[in-house]
Amino acid sequence: MAAFTLTVNGQSHRVEASPEMPLLWVLRDRLGLTGTKFGCGQGLCGACTVHLGDAPVRSCKTRLGDVGSRHITTIEGLDPHGAHPLQKAWVELDVAQCGYCQTGQIMTAAALLAKNPHPSDADIDHALGRNACRCGTYLRIREAVHAAAGQRREVIP
Amino acid sequence: MTDRRDFLKIAGVAGAGLVLGLRLDAKTRPGAAAAPEFAPNAFLAVRPDGTVRITVPKTEMGQGVRTALPLVVAEEMDLDWAKVEVINANPGPDFKSMQTGGSTSVSSTWGTLRKAGATAREMLKAAAAARWNVDLKSCRTEKGFVLGPGNQKLGYGALVEAAAKLPVPKDPSLKSPRDYRLLGKRTPRFDGPDIVTGKAIFGLDVRRPGQRFAAVLRSTVCTGRPMAWDAGKALEVPGVVDVVKVPTGIAVIATNTWAALKGRERLAADTTWELGSAQDFNSADLETFMREALTGPGEEARKQGDAEKALVAAAKVLEAEYSFPYQAHATVEPMNATVQIRPEGAEMWTGSQSPNKAQATAAAALGLKPEQVKVNVALIGGGFGRRLGTDFSTEAAQVAKAAGGGPIQVVWDREDDFRHDLHHPATLHRLRAGLDASGALTAWAHRIAGPSILHSWVGQKTPSQVLAEANGALDIPYAIPAIRVDYAEVAAPTPLGWWRGIEIVPNVFARECFFDEVAHAVGKDPLQLRLDLLGNQGLVKFGRDEADIRRLKKVLQVAAEKAGWGRKLPAGRGLGLACHAYDGRTYAAEVAEVSVEKGQLRIHKVTCAVDCGFVVNPAGLEAQVEGGIAFGLSALFTQITWEKGHTVQTGYQEFPLLRLGDMPEVETHVVQSAEAPSGIGEPPVPLAIPAVLNAVFAATGKRIRKVPVDLSAI
Repeated sequence: MAAFTLTVNGQSHRVEASPEMPLLWVLRDRLGLTGTKFGCGQGLCGACTVHLGDAPVRSCKTRLGDVGSRHITTIEGLDPHGAHPLQKAWVELDVAQCGYCQTGQIMTAAALLAKNPHPSDADIDHALGRNACRCGTYLRIREAVHAAAGQRREVIP
Repeated sequence: MTDRRDFLKIAGVAGAGLVLGLRLDAKTRPGAAAAPEFAPNAFLAVRPDGTVRITVPKTEMGQGVRTALPLVVAEEMDLDWAKVEVINANPGPDFKSMQTGGSTSVSSTWGTLRKAGATAREMLKAAAAARWNVDLKSCRTEKGFVLGPGNQKLGYGALVEAAAKLPVPKDPSLKSPRDYRLLGKRTPRFDGPDIVTGKAIFGLDVRRPGQRFAAVLRSTVCTGRPMAWDAGKALEVPGVVDVVKVPTGIAVIATNTWAALKGRERLAADTTWELGSAQDFNSADLETFMREALTGPGEEARKQGDAEKALVAAAKVLEAEYSFPYQAHATVEPMNATVQIRPEGAEMWTGSQSPNKAQATAAAALGLKPEQVKVNVALIGGGFGRRLGTDFSTEAAQVAKAAGGGPIQVVWDREDDFRHDLHHPATLHRLRAGLDASGALTAWAHRIAGPSILHSWVGQKTPSQVLAEANGALDIPYAIPAIRVDYAEVAAPTPLGWWRGIEIVPNVFARECFFDEVAHAVGKDPLQLRLDLLGNQGLVKFGRDEADIRRLKKVLQVAAEKAGWGRKLPAGRGLGLACHAYDGRTYAAEVAEVSVEKGQLRIHKVTCAVDCGFVVNPAGLEAQVEGGIAFGLSALFTQITWEKGHTVQTGYQEFPLLRLGDMPEVETHVVQSAEAPSGIGEPPVPLAIPAVLNAVFAATGKRIRKVPVDLSAI
């Protein structure tokens, strides 16, 4: 057990836990941030994706001890009112079916757009190609990322 | 002939008459301190502020019932959709059969929910007419208001008290579809905003005060049980608070999920097992037994003419074997349930497709009456039939009981989920077709061999299981003089369950691919041969269902036309098609366009035409078609195999789900129909595999008869 200070969605939290504990369970079971989902625990499905600094990471494979001083952003902090262009596009294009994997999809897409504001189909397929959706919402995911990128174009000339 | 229909009957939970035991006369019980509400039935309550709470009697698992079913009520009530709040029903006297499966959520509630909404609308109107002292017939309703013959206007909220005092009409008039303002229009999912902000609560997101987390150490063999264990090292893991025995294994209880999983890892090293009846079960042996059963005795599912005689008399006989593997549901949210036991009873939170059964089985496990167990239905992170089972929720009740009451959330990890799934079983298929000298199809014989889902589900052989296991094969819609479809059960010790598309997936795969073989063998275009043999048939009875072949023919024509069937394609590219009348209720056809280059299969596009009666929400329908096709395509490359009673596959590494880059373009065409809504969740699934594999043949001349597809063969 050790004490860690984490910055999650701009808020500072003190957590006492083993440095081995995956960030996923710190977020879900210790901080009550259940928007980040447990899918496989093996880094294969992407449901647990959060941002560490600017990078999308699989929180199920990120040890608490490796977070360091990097800021963590979860779906709850992407935009608390759902006003991020991706969230708006997701709702407008009715992307979600069961919805379980979608927060991980959105966090992965948000990291892509931050780096590449106007991604091509291939860019999107590459960035989101490791996020599984058993309901098969893929076509709408791609469409929504494009739509959000268009929205961005208006916001950031 | 749905197998789940048999299950419903056997389980004694199907309601005859009033749909599925949903009671229209029952009243919801408002909370103790609640303001007065107008709640003429269990499905809705109008509050004084004009907001309306609609109670959904089916489980949301991504198919959109928390949007589609409230829309039906809102339409009949003439509500402002923005003022609708949606809650899930709890199983109980008002909701005796909430079972969600078989693509029946809309069709089974359609009549009841329309009547529920119409009842409320008529009572609100009557309350306003009385207040204004005008003729009821001169009043109408619009977007949450009653409008009078002058300029009178009253919101529903203002009429709550008066309406509640009126008699409930027995036979309220239903709206004409011409007047629909919500139904038939695109409405986005009700839960969309909560899903994209992470606020939506799935079973695994339930958090109760003082909640603990548990991981159950189960045998890696599906029938195994623990013999002896030493909990010492597990209890040393910080956060682990208890280790308890339950019937399925040993539960490690902790203050967080990770500690429970870590404790379980330590416990596994110090446990010995009794492996049970499945310990010698291998896929290779099962295949041998299934192959033997392809030529042994079989139970008849459909007999028309004398197919054996016709095969003997045929000028030419074609024969082929098709193979489909065990499959996993692989929902992204693993199984879980949270249970709290209090002196007066228990409460459960879980994503269940069978809430009533979850209540009954948990009650039995806890020694309580069903009404003492409150089941709260959480959102489901993927169901596909897996959560019809109550193994996981019952186990959670047992863990809570053994650990002193909870609240405890039992969490399965990915490996638990694959190993202890209720898998969809493997089948082998032997198909034979007899052709006369002119090349006309005179005989069709389809033998299915494999384990029976229904047998596993109810724990005994049932007379109707042959119809369930042959679903999709026995209802071959083509007019062939002699048809024999039969089934030979092959025993398997693994627990089985239905999977999205059920037995229709393997059976239609074999049927529609072999039909394609016949077409090519006689030099006919596969579309033309289908159209010829659908012919001028009208209503045809198959088993217990009746299908309208005209509707099937229509969707086939639409799909073929929209996909550009017959157009010239570059080398290495091909079109394939498949069609089916799902349970005689929903008619669907798909055309796949694929290319094969350097051993790589690429599925470019799937064009789907469907006729599922009146479409409540076209947005939901399109999502189900896309999702159904994705589910079918995913199965092209996945399988569960068994070695010594273990699943060889334990994660997504060995069971690769379809990913974004593999998803083809999907084009959906709805054939408009005035019929009542039927269902759309499953019908698109079974057509994807045969459409693609028929397209692969068109592109390469290589016939693939085995799933998972071995690409090295092409």
